Amino acid sequence: MTGSNKLTKRDYTKTTLRAYFLQNGFNYSNYQGLGYALVLYPALKKLYGDNPERLAKELNDNCEFYNTNPNFLPFITSIHLAMADSGMEYEEIRGIKMALMGPLAGIGDSLSQFCIAPLFSTIFASLAMDGIAIAPLLFLLFENITLLTIKLITGAYGRKLGTSMIDKLSEKMGVISDAASMIGVTVIAGLAATFVKMKVAITFAAGEAVEGVTQSTVNLQAMLDKVAPALLPVLYTVLMYYLIKKKGMTTYKLVLITVVLGIALSFFGILA
Amino acid sequence: MQEITFIQAVLIGLWTAFCYSGMLWGIFTNRAIVLSFGVGLVLGDLQTALQCGAIAELAFMGFGVGAGGTVPPNPIGPGIIGTLMAITMPEVTPESALSLSIPFAVAIQFLQTAIYTVRAGAPESAANALAKHNFSKFRLHANLTVVLFALVGFALGFLGAFSMETLNMLVTLIPDWLLKGLTVAGGMLPAIGFAMIMSVMLKKEFIPFALLGYILAAFFGLPVIGIALVGAVFALKHYFDTENAPLATAQAAVQEEEQDDWI
Repeated sequence: MTGSNKLTKRDYTKTTLRAYFLQNGFNYSNYQGLGYALVLYPALKKLYGDNPERLAKELNDNCEFYNTNPNFLPFITSIHLAMADSGMEYEEIRGIKMALMGPLAGIGDSLSQFCIAPLFSTIFASLAMDGIAIAPLLFLLFENITLLTIKLITGAYGRKLGTSMIDKLSEKMGVISDAASMIGVTVIAGLAATFVKMKVAITFAAGEAVEGVTQSTVNLQAMLDKVAPALLPVLYTVLMYYLIKKKGMTTYKLVLITVVLGIALSFFGILA
Repeated sequence: MQEITFIQAVLIGLWTAFCYSGMLWGIFTNRAIVLSFGVGLVLGDLQTALQCGAIAELAFMGFGVGAGGTVPPNPIGPGIIGTLMAITMPEVTPESALSLSIPFAVAIQFLQTAIYTVRAGAPESAANALAKHNFSKFRLHANLTVVLFALVGFALGFLGAFSMETLNMLVTLIPDWLLKGLTVAGGMLPAIGFAMIMSVMLKKEFIPFALLGYILAAFFGLPVIGIALVGAVFALKHYFDTENAPLATAQAAVQEEEQDDWI
């Protein structure tokens, strides 16, 4: 596998810095999907710019659901670019891209939001409390230098790993991509069970009301949870899957259906 | 009560627009301590602003920047609205400004959910633009959420500074059933995203892994890294099995040949 090798170190750095744009198109149907394609745009343009058909296809493929931590994204995009630059198709890259999404979101979120941010937040909020006027600016400075450093380091490391990995493992790519897809599918199914939220609000009285005794009520959601937790979210996801895969429905329609359904079910007190 | 000029209101609007957009960029501008700093600078009362910002910053500390999915109450509530109250109304202390501004923080949280929901059609529009090879239109769609954030941020900051009563009225104007319904719908919408990705990734032989992910998350409540690691156990097993498989058949063939010689 020779590939084009069109990308220079500068392209990788540029893509790394474009991680700031990851959420510019954030929405509830593909989360950071549009942003991911936007981050890669200049690099993809350099790779496939002479073929608009191919560029459009690559951008479209990259628009699928994505959700990770922006500070660790450069690690993923660098590996992605190294693979693409060596001539690999998106289908071969996708497995790794999707497998890295969940773990890096987990590590990145816990590090940046629950470790670095609270640390600086407490330090500089107490300085501000003491009336030190530049405390807010120092907060911004320290926070952003730290996060930029993480971006640059993970981006450079991803590039190194991506290029060496391809040289050594190109013939094994099929099985690696399969293995990566397995992790990806596991994580995404797990995320679907936790991210999608549907709770039944219906409770009804059990048995006859006896004077002086608190009437016991049956909570439908608690019953469902005993059958299987996150049952409704998973069933709804499966329904959406069915409508997309078998009925070829567009996201527009599905979003509209879901919003109307959500408002209606909430209005009649079925879901809360 | 301090009067706010039109220019000051515009400046506060711009500052809010920048800080709120910064939430998507992950640059930590949408924090109470930073938001209130700008209000203090524009209105010339940095000390009150610092107090408001610091109190709210500590109260809101658990909330991160733009993490996907869950939308926490927004620090613009105390950071902008609360600080404005504390600076312009002598009866409002930085502490009471925090509690007074909580309804705004919650309302802005709903507003943000609404933006994400409205933008749920964006991937479709972007795909249409790409089908026509219209790359600049694709980029517009990919950037529109941040544009909406800037507009909403400006509106919030400007309105809050220019007319506190108008803002108060707008919050009460949204019917309760609609707010609740949008929250329920917001919880269901991610299902579409997951279904989309599964429609591409889920080959028949991966179905056990989808089941595994669900079980680990729903029954065992494992965090995402734990789920990924368990998935990795099976994926590695699969990798080593297939890696050694051709070797094993080759060895078997050799053995068979040797046995042939013996007979």
